[in-house]
Amino acid sequence: MSTATPLAVAYDGLRPKILQRLLDLRSTLDPSLGRLDEPTARAQIGAVLDHVGNFLTTGDLGLHRAFLHTFLAMRAAEAQGPAAVLAMLVAIGDTAAQVAQEEAATTPTGADLALMLTRVTASTARALNDLIAEELERRLGQWAELSRRERRGAPPS
Amino acid sequence: MTPAAPRVAGDTHVGKVRTANEDSMIVEPSIGLYAVLDGMGGANAGDVASQTARDALREVIAQQRLHMQPKQLVEAAIQGACAAVNAAAQADRARHGMGTTVVACLQIDPSHVVIAHVGDSRCYLLRGQRLQSLTRDHTIVEELVDRGLLSAEEAERHPYKNVLSRNLGAKPETRVDLLDLDLKQGDRLLLCSDGLYGYASAEAIQYLLGSGDPPEQVARDLIDLALRGGGGDNVSVIVIEGPPVAPSSTQVVRTSGAVAWWGRRQRFLQVARERGLTQNPICRGLEPDEALEVVALSLCEAIYHDLEKSTGVNVWTFAQNLAGGWFDRSGEWSALRGLVDILAMSARVVVDEIRGTDASLGFLLDVAVSRALVVAELALGGLLADRLRAIDADLIRLHGAMQETIEAELPPEDTGSKFIDTPTIPFLRADRPVTSSGISAELVGGIEKTLTIARARTAPRATLVRDILAALESIACDDSGNFAQAVLSARELYGVRPVDDAGIMPLFDALDQARIITCASVHQISATDLLRAKVLRAISAAHQRLVGAMTGLVLEAVAPISDRLREAQQQTSELRDQVARAERKRAELERKFASTIDQSQPWDKRGTTEW
Repeated sequence: MSTATPLAVAYDGLRPKILQRLLDLRSTLDPSLGRLDEPTARAQIGAVLDHVGNFLTTGDLGLHRAFLHTFLAMRAAEAQGPAAVLAMLVAIGDTAAQVAQEEAATTPTGADLALMLTRVTASTARALNDLIAEELERRLGQWAELSRRERRGAPPS
Repeated sequence: MTPAAPRVAGDTHVGKVRTANEDSMIVEPSIGLYAVLDGMGGANAGDVASQTARDALREVIAQQRLHMQPKQLVEAAIQGACAAVNAAAQADRARHGMGTTVVACLQIDPSHVVIAHVGDSRCYLLRGQRLQSLTRDHTIVEELVDRGLLSAEEAERHPYKNVLSRNLGAKPETRVDLLDLDLKQGDRLLLCSDGLYGYASAEAIQYLLGSGDPPEQVARDLIDLALRGGGGDNVSVIVIEGPPVAPSSTQVVRTSGAVAWWGRRQRFLQVARERGLTQNPICRGLEPDEALEVVALSLCEAIYHDLEKSTGVNVWTFAQNLAGGWFDRSGEWSALRGLVDILAMSARVVVDEIRGTDASLGFLLDVAVSRALVVAELALGGLLADRLRAIDADLIRLHGAMQETIEAELPPEDTGSKFIDTPTIPFLRADRPVTSSGISAELVGGIEKTLTIARARTAPRATLVRDILAALESIACDDSGNFAQAVLSARELYGVRPVDDAGIMPLFDALDQARIITCASVHQISATDLLRAKVLRAISAAHQRLVGAMTGLVLEAVAPISDRLREAQQQTSELRDQVARAERKRAELERKFASTIDQSQPWDKRGTTEW
């Protein structure tokens, strides 16, 4: 039992470079991120990158899903739609993979890390869509309930 | 020493002046030997010399290449060739004095060669688009320059500048210049006789060699170049490519990746069938083969086209059509998720199999297919978000309609006092006294005259300005001593308006216009200056009250929104603090968890902790 996989270690080494690239590109990644001052943007993107590092180590889909749930809720409170959240997380994953790919020539794990980060992005997109679908399911239930009440003339609960 | 086969091509031409070609060449990729030999001597002896040397050289290399070090091997082969030519010259008086130059390249591996030369046949290296000569001509003049007995300028004008100091055949042995060279990606070597560089500039040679054209084309172009330059001698060239520049991963995926993927489409369909694609609810009503073709083969084709063109548009379109059609049929998400998962797993199986046979190609395909899956999820996410937005709008509408029904059914509240009597904001208190002390009939007459003139000066379509002028008359002539008339008038003018630029700004613009018109109109009434001053003061006071009342209404209208905004900001701030604390806690927990996981498990099988 080790505390971190080689890829997670390699990712930790690249994390500052990835973060800087994302900060430089943040206005193209997400308009609301672009409006934030650098320390706030650094904190928000940093939280995502921290989680990616933990996910690389654990591979725990439950934790991953929980993080995404919180992230979706947090962004929704800032009037960010789920499609925009999805696009932003994919853009962060793509950028991280691209930085890893650029390092592939100089680091032995660069190419593997790029592949792993692309897979993590795919897992993220999949899990996020499942969460959006669940929310949609809940709202459809609410809509059906309201429609039924409206037909009966009962007040909404 | 197993030479690889580089991309190489040679060409030779008799030229425009000579009747015989005395040059010879060796282009033997199987033994890694390439050489240009330029024979000399009368009575057709030149071609005999170069051919004799060529055959001897090739024979020694072929026989000894497994038993000698490369450098020694080349030197021994050239010495053997020299001895052979010399012996032939000695054997035939007619060929006495014949000889040949040689420039040879022995390739040890794709990035390592030995260059050897005797005479004035040359070897050039093109590296980074710069041409440099690797050999120094063995002429009497060059050797005098080397010894410092002649300057470069003197050498250029020297009558013996083309007289060789060394060749193969004049003596049984000769001195051979040898050079070990490591080739880099993109390097090109050129072996040539003086029929090329004597009739073509170095710049033109550099340009053709660096054109990127295949060696066969470059060799032909170099010969043409020498011929266009006069073609006064036999010309021979050999172009040898160094290790090729590694294609980018994108190029590999675009070419061989796309082909490899498409070549395994049947396997993809087979895996998709095995994993139950044909039983998925989305495929209900389709024959199994039809389902595979409509769904799986379509995705396979989309991935192929995207790989080929390095885009994601085909996979995006596929996913949108698939999901859009299913949602239009009120299909459930779980079926769509199941189908996409089957397709994703089938793709992974195929990619893993490709990795088994070609690791690097499989690796690049793995990245590309993972990326295609991300694109598909992005398309699905867009559709889900659209549906979520639509259902949200429906919910709000439905909820609003129900609230209105309930409010309509409730008994009306006994407000007791009218809106204007309700204290709302300080400067709208109904009991606030008017500062003027009463109003005279003369003043009322002056106000009416002024506003009549003002109305006449107002454009007929400016109804809002006309309404304001009427309101100003009512307010200015009101002697009740409070703001009631101003608030009433403001209420009427305000009516029902959205609280935005389009709703509010025309109102304040009209108030401003009314002020300007009334100020101008005061001077047109027949009255004393004192009365005009009183009229102006009364109308200005009325205008101020109207503007004050109007501002109060606007503030009142936005008050609930401001309150909600303030509350929302506060809640968001608290929520963000909580999330930040939770994130820190989560990161700590994940780190603890990471330290206890079983690393022997595959990455995606290590845990499924539900939070």
